[in-house]
Amino acid sequence: MMKRRMTNRRLTGMHHTCTKQYASIGQQLVIGMLCSTLLACSADSPDQNTAALNQPYPAQTGGTLISAMPSDPSGMIGMVAGESASLAIGAYLFNSLLTFNQDLDLAGELAESWQVADDKKTITFKLKPGLQWADGKPLTSADVLFTWQLIIDEKTHSPYASDYQLVTKAEAPDAQTFIVHYAQPFAPALESWAHLQVLPKHKLAGQDIHTTSFAQKPLGSHYYQLKEWRHGEYLKLERNPKSVLGPANIDNVVERIIPDPAAQFLELMADNIDSMTLDPITYARIIPSRPALQAKLNQYKELGNSYTYLGFNLKRKPFDDVRVRKAINYAIDKQEIIDGVYLGLGIAIASPYKPGTRWSNPNLTPYPFDPTKAKQLLAEAGYVDSNGDGIVERDGKKLSFEVLTNLGNKQREKTTVIIQRRLKEVGIETRIRTLEWASLLTNFIKPGDFDAVVMGWGLSLDPDQYSIWHSSQQGPGQFNFIGYNNPAVDKLLEQGRMEFDPETRMQIYHDFAKVLYEDSPLVYLSAGYGLTAIHKRVQGIMNPVPPAGVGYDSHKWYLPEPLRRTQIQAE
Amino acid sequence: MLNYLIRRIVWMIPMLIGISLISFFIMHLAPGDITSTEAAFDPKSSEESRQKLRELYHLDKPVIVQYGLWLERMVHLDFGHSFASHQKPVFWAETDKDGNTTPGMIQEALPITLLMNVVGLFLTLTLAVPLGVIAAKKYGRWPDRSITLFNFIGFSIPGFWLSLLLMYWLGVIHPWFPISGLHSLNYAQLDTWQKCQDLLMHLFLPVVIPAITGLAGITMFVKNGMLDVLSQDFVTTARAKGLSDCTVTYRHALRNALLPLITLVGLSLPGLIGGSVIAETIFAIPGMGKLFYDAVMMRDFPVIMGILTIGSALTLMGNLLADLAYAWADPRLRRGVMPQR
Repeated sequence: MMKRRMTNRRLTGMHHTCTKQYASIGQQLVIGMLCSTLLACSADSPDQNTAALNQPYPAQTGGTLISAMPSDPSGMIGMVAGESASLAIGAYLFNSLLTFNQDLDLAGELAESWQVADDKKTITFKLKPGLQWADGKPLTSADVLFTWQLIIDEKTHSPYASDYQLVTKAEAPDAQTFIVHYAQPFAPALESWAHLQVLPKHKLAGQDIHTTSFAQKPLGSHYYQLKEWRHGEYLKLERNPKSVLGPANIDNVVERIIPDPAAQFLELMADNIDSMTLDPITYARIIPSRPALQAKLNQYKELGNSYTYLGFNLKRKPFDDVRVRKAINYAIDKQEIIDGVYLGLGIAIASPYKPGTRWSNPNLTPYPFDPTKAKQLLAEAGYVDSNGDGIVERDGKKLSFEVLTNLGNKQREKTTVIIQRRLKEVGIETRIRTLEWASLLTNFIKPGDFDAVVMGWGLSLDPDQYSIWHSSQQGPGQFNFIGYNNPAVDKLLEQGRMEFDPETRMQIYHDFAKVLYEDSPLVYLSAGYGLTAIHKRVQGIMNPVPPAGVGYDSHKWYLPEPLRRTQIQAE
Repeated sequence: MLNYLIRRIVWMIPMLIGISLISFFIMHLAPGDITSTEAAFDPKSSEESRQKLRELYHLDKPVIVQYGLWLERMVHLDFGHSFASHQKPVFWAETDKDGNTTPGMIQEALPITLLMNVVGLFLTLTLAVPLGVIAAKKYGRWPDRSITLFNFIGFSIPGFWLSLLLMYWLGVIHPWFPISGLHSLNYAQLDTWQKCQDLLMHLFLPVVIPAITGLAGITMFVKNGMLDVLSQDFVTTARAKGLSDCTVTYRHALRNALLPLITLVGLSLPGLIGGSVIAETIFAIPGMGKLFYDAVMMRDFPVIMGILTIGSALTLMGNLLADLAYAWADPRLRRGVMPQR
């Protein structure tokens, strides 16, 4: 039920980190507070029940799991809502044709099988037999077709329509078959069908997708159904006995909306919620220092599908010179950033893919920290400190530039300061400027008016990164805003989009990552871990965490009866 | 009287239009729009989709045209639909053809904020007036000093810090109060009495903390007013007549000292609908403050304009009510305002 939450996080991950920052004051404060005098308080004495918590119980059904999320979903139709909370709740309710298994390979969800035609332009999905919606009506290929028509509709306000608009024709010849035709082979199509949450035609036909009350009272086919929604406060989900993937173990899932992470943590301490996502300080410092918390919580970490980078405006001097870019790459100590900013809860990367997955090139190692080499490369590029002011220059011009990052993202701000110091050591002067997200995007990124930026990319599970790196994607508002232009990369990206065979694709993206590595158009700074704390009363959690994340098989989680909350049971 | 009222109310219309025009332009001065906040940096979204959204929302038109479109809708009291929140209606609930209702965003948030602020204002006043009177009566002696000190501390403590501290102390260590939220999860199953109790318990911390930190201003206001009045001739006369201390203080002095408070309360009327972002965020209460903050961050123009319009209308109403209440309470002013009577 939570399995797609990780992938959903990437959808709006970037803006997500930008709008929720006001909470950080409180967060830091509660940390200071907890670490100081109050630490000695009586709440720390371990509970007698902790022994029971560590005892394994057999899998069983029932119980209520309560977790917290930072913002209220705006509606249940993810394609229109376009924000992570809606997609996360939608992932409890709706199925897609395909999904990703625990190793992040494609697998069928509603589809029993799928077949790519020899010309690679047609994909035929065969639906599983006997699928039904929670109200008992059959779920057929007509629903899938309807959902596709909905997202490509001219009138639908969806930021995610582009992948589906490439479908030239879609058909549902019988109730079990859904066929899509593309004008040319498009390998990321399969991933796109793993993201499209299939909606019931019999409920939505003839409705205005934007104003329909279906967004408030949805009907799905997945493990859970929406039972009660108190806007801005909580959502109650109850198990769907007709779930197309078989029923989940836990009866009720409650998502409480608590915007402030400090308040979330207090609720976790008071045992009012069972799970929350943590920041590195809570994960690495606060919980380990409190035996009472440690006794009742399990902590999990999983590598997310996103990374932070220092990107250069390649259309500007001196960044058009690969030696300067490499020098900067060598001058930055990535481990220092990971240790200092993420308290060690991250890793350095060498390619724009999640390490350990098929797409990540295992032969590349992150640029090491080597200031001597950096200085040498700068000298080769003609930058030397001739006037002894500590800043290198060429033709009398200092090597000095401005680094932009978005306001309120503390991790990026700290990262930028660390970079500034290291670059100064090799004679590069940087000025830091933090800007509110919308203003950074509209006034600087979109017109291309910047030297360098510290930002992040949240990536999809499909390796295609055409929109980020292809030279055709440099227009205002497009994602290759750094102006990367390499015909070799263009060609690889085009090939990768046409190739369905995973092995051949893997080779293409390994080559692509290698070229990027040599070009160093941006400095990969770190890929942080996603951190979660879950109460020990929740059992059956896969350990170690699979690549797909801790929530991957949450439908198999269970709450042993002796460990359940008494108050909720009485309800 | 009636003429005066009608004149004031008619004048509010051009005022409101002026305010909304200025607000609209200032709002558009901030860089970006919904397409630069919603899914803007997701590699899966495309510039074409964003351009389409801009056209659908008329964001590609000049600001004055957009204002015209907005004004046209407002004439019909149509506050429009949110850009960022799934096209939810901004103010009024809407019913689709199947009879299902989608509640309006302001409609949902406003009662919560109003409840909190009215209870909070009531609490502040019931505490501040006696405290102010005591401080004035015992001016310079220990009760006055301790009240001043208490106010000083309350005024200086950052509200969010006190909130977190009390949430920890009264919610985690001694679980007497709920930590966050507005309703218990089993609220729907409770009977009416338990529902009230539940709501009060949830409201306790979020209402009491701002009341304490906001006490200082009004207490000082009352105290200074009382000090002024107590030294006036009519108080001396009242005492000379042999009236009891209690009558002098509460019937003669306090009634006069409270006059300026009417203005203060009148001016705080628009504040009643503006929630506090920080308090609402910390206590996870879906009120107006957070609604407005999120709308600004997301550049959700219809919601921003909806809240600003209601806010300015209430400010104007508050001014009017304060003036009327003043006239009602103070005979001198009543004659000045309405010479024809």
